[in-house]
Amino acid sequence: MKTTPSDLKQYRAQLKDALGNEFLGKTLETFTDIICQRRDTCFENMDFAALAAEVGRMKDAALPRLMELYAQFKEQAEAAGAQVHFAATAAEANRIIAGIAEQASVKKIVKSKSMTSEETFLNPHLEGEGFKVVETDLGEWIIQLRGEGPSHMIAPAIHLSRQEVAELFNRVIGGDRDPDDIAGLVQVAREQLRQEYLSADMGISGVNFAIADSGTMGLVTNEGNARLVTTLPRVHVALAGLDKLVPDLDTALKIVRILPRNGAGQIISNYVTWIRGANECATGPEGKKEIHFVFLDNGRLALAADPVFGEALRCIRCGHCANVCPIYDKVGGHNYGHVYIGAIGLILTYFYHGRENARALVKNCLNCQACKANCAASIDLPRLIKKTAGLILDQEPRRPAKNQLLAHVLKNRKLFHFILRNAYLAQKPLAKGDKVIRHLPSFFGPEHGFRSLPVVARRPLRERWPALVTAEASPRHRVALFGGCLIDFVYPEQAEALVGLVKGRGVQLDYPLAQTCCGLPAQMMCEEDTAREVARQNLGALDPAKYDYILTLCASCGSHLKENLPKLLAGDPGLAAKARQMADKVIDFSSFMNDVLGVEPTQGETGPKLAYHAPCHLCRGLDVHRAPRDLIQAAGYDYAPYADEEVCCGFGGSYSLEFPEMSAAILGHKLDQVEATGAEILVSDCPGCVLQLSGGLDQRDSPIEVLHIAEALARAGLKPAPDKS
Amino acid sequence: MTQPALIEEFTERAEGLSASVAPAPDLAAAVEYAVKLTLEMGGTTLAAPGWEGDDLAAIEAACASAGLELFSSDLRAVADNIFCGFTQADWGIAETGTLVIDSRSEDLRLATMLAEVHVAVLLRGNLRPNQEALHDEMDALFKKGPAYLAFISGPSRTGDIEMVLTLGAHGPRQVHVMLLEDAS
Ligand code: SF4
Ligand code: SF4
Repeated sequence: MKTTPSDLKQYRAQLKDALGNEFLGKTLETFTDIICQRRDTCFENMDFAALAAEVGRMKDAALPRLMELYAQFKEQAEAAGAQVHFAATAAEANRIIAGIAEQASVKKIVKSKSMTSEETFLNPHLEGEGFKVVETDLGEWIIQLRGEGPSHMIAPAIHLSRQEVAELFNRVIGGDRDPDDIAGLVQVAREQLRQEYLSADMGISGVNFAIADSGTMGLVTNEGNARLVTTLPRVHVALAGLDKLVPDLDTALKIVRILPRNGAGQIISNYVTWIRGANECATGPEGKKEIHFVFLDNGRLALAADPVFGEALRCIRCGHCANVCPIYDKVGGHNYGHVYIGAIGLILTYFYHGRENARALVKNCLNCQACKANCAASIDLPRLIKKTAGLILDQEPRRPAKNQLLAHVLKNRKLFHFILRNAYLAQKPLAKGDKVIRHLPSFFGPEHGFRSLPVVARRPLRERWPALVTAEASPRHRVALFGGCLIDFVYPEQAEALVGLVKGRGVQLDYPLAQTCCGLPAQMMCEEDTAREVARQNLGALDPAKYDYILTLCASCGSHLKENLPKLLAGDPGLAAKARQMADKVIDFSSFMNDVLGVEPTQGETGPKLAYHAPCHLCRGLDVHRAPRDLIQAAGYDYAPYADEEVCCGFGGSYSLEFPEMSAAILGHKLDQVEATGAEILVSDCPGCVLQLSGGLDQRDSPIEVLHIAEALARAGLKPAPDKS
Repeated sequence: MTQPALIEEFTERAEGLSASVAPAPDLAAAVEYAVKLTLEMGGTTLAAPGWEGDDLAAIEAACASAGLELFSSDLRAVADNIFCGFTQADWGIAETGTLVIDSRSEDLRLATMLAEVHVAVLLRGNLRPNQEALHDEMDALFKKGPAYLAFISGPSRTGDIEMVLTLGAHGPRQVHVMLLEDAS
């Protein structure tokens, strides 16, 4: 049975190997580019978010009723001549299926794709019992011949190149095939497998949904193999996770609407097959098919009852959370999942395949939110991934020293700020008078050298503030600036740019000094208590009732305050309301400038060529897309767009320290694209992204200058529209 | 949606999925199309389950004069020898270019799965704008006895090798839809 390294070092070594495999990298990039593009086209005239939310709601409604739906399905299916079995565990499901085969004197079994059978490791079990098992989905057949598991939930062999497939066929079947004749390779499978269908006694299929009120199952496929598997052999076994139960046809049709579009980038799969009961089958007993349903629990009922993790059971296995993930894009499913792949795989591995297999894997998430924004069932995947990591951490014999330290320091603002101020002195010798540290001290290890690090500012923003801001005579907007650690202690000049931009435009800016870290770093390290404690401190420092807006220059702070704060303090009477008020008033810099104040476009010549990096926490966290681009153009820059503007830069806070090789690879992808635009300036609206991007460009000796968007606008002399009131 | 609009959308979508759509004034025209196609592609057999009476007689006559072997039942016995599957479709879905076929009959299933080419006859009046418009018909089917309902949208395909779209993975390599005038 498969194991995924539980040790982070070992897992990182595996990732490093994958990153070094150029073939794999190219194959994956082609795949994700094509599939994402096709998928986006499918939703051009549809409200994806609304549809996904509806699927989520429909699935949610079924979760507390799974056993009731099971009973209903069983009754209906049996009335139509099927047999229905319940398997509490994976082993039991395998035993039941082997038992059915034994009883029916089966020798050969053909299978169409079923992730649930991968979950239970059904094939090795059946083979151990002496049955011949043949996978018939082309991709599944290829990996079966190679003796490996799927690397993607809907495209199981997508990690392989045509050359590898051709070589495999030559080796197993004989002959000498042209790898570029892909139709020829497909033809091999068609011919070989036709004979298998015709001679098999039993077909095993998965189930995309099981409709309780009629006992009907649905299969959504492209190749047509599932139709043959469910038709030709005299016995059919359908294996389904209990979570595949839906109450009615309405829900099933909703799934058919979103699944092929989101998963395969097709408006419909070639075949959607609806099967109820024992249909005609010339070779079956009394001319009827012997049909069995095996419903697998394997922890699903417990999961369904969990107030946090139940959400994971909404998943309809479209596989798209992998396609959009920058980590999957670089290393593929064999290195980004155990059996289940991608974001959902990180979560399910823990629940279905155990802590050891999930331990290192679950840390491999940037929290970039791409999966969440694209999930067909609207699952908050990054949140569940972090929660899963937290569960695993709680079960470790002791918390890592860095967690203990972080928790201790963050809770004590004065100590924290004391350390940050003094970091300046500690760093001085490393920077050698420069603004960045190019050569990190040796305990960091060479893998961290992909980016230079900025030096902590000599005087933090909080010290500069009193001299910076003057009172506005008749303020239009009362605004509190939430700085965040990076702005306050590393990049105060970004806040100075803001102050200059809004001066004289009726914005009364405050910087409440008792504010501290937003708490996101603690949450990312699974220290929720610490995140909660600093959230309380920030609410004490900054009373949302006093302000019209709480402005952030850091998209990560902004989205944390907006989305996570209300969740963290939901159980805290009084503070829960304050947290929601705070969330309501949080606004990012670009939206404030562009949408609240409005700007006067600069006149004159076009400025230098400029590229933009969209922070994950801005474009997905806060759903802001247009404002920064409008501002760049209003400021007269020669805006140079590129394809992956909204793809993560690979920072992810502590992620870049834990997985430096991954972070470097994802950053490299971004910087290649930026350099290809020929831009002189790269801007973003998050100091964390600025840190990562400028550090990476510095190591490349690139002349591209990285600025916070506020700095770029200030430099271009952009002004907010004058007060018209 | 008006019928011309349904036909237009169905045609556009089905063609987008590599199916061909052609009008047929009557069944004879559709049969002629299937026979000609089979001959052109070098096929020698035609499986036509689910036809009765005059319709079947017309198919028999056309096959006989073209020298094609016709199978109208017991298709398992000729499972590896079906070139063209000539069947009816119960409904069409315009939004996705889909044929909906009540496939309880095993022969019907085999003809649509094992053939190299599938020619399906669809009455224009049975076009629906989207799958949801078939909710009631489907629900009724699923609530009485065994059911095997097939949505077929274009020929069988795979992208499993490097995402290169390849037709004819396991099922028919071509799908042709004959849109039949309702009167016939
Ligand atoms: S949040 Fe980003 S990095 Fe994490 S799983 Fe989702 S897509 Fe991948
Ligand atoms: S979690 Fe969402 S995106 Fe991922 S496979 Fe499941 S439904 Fe699809």
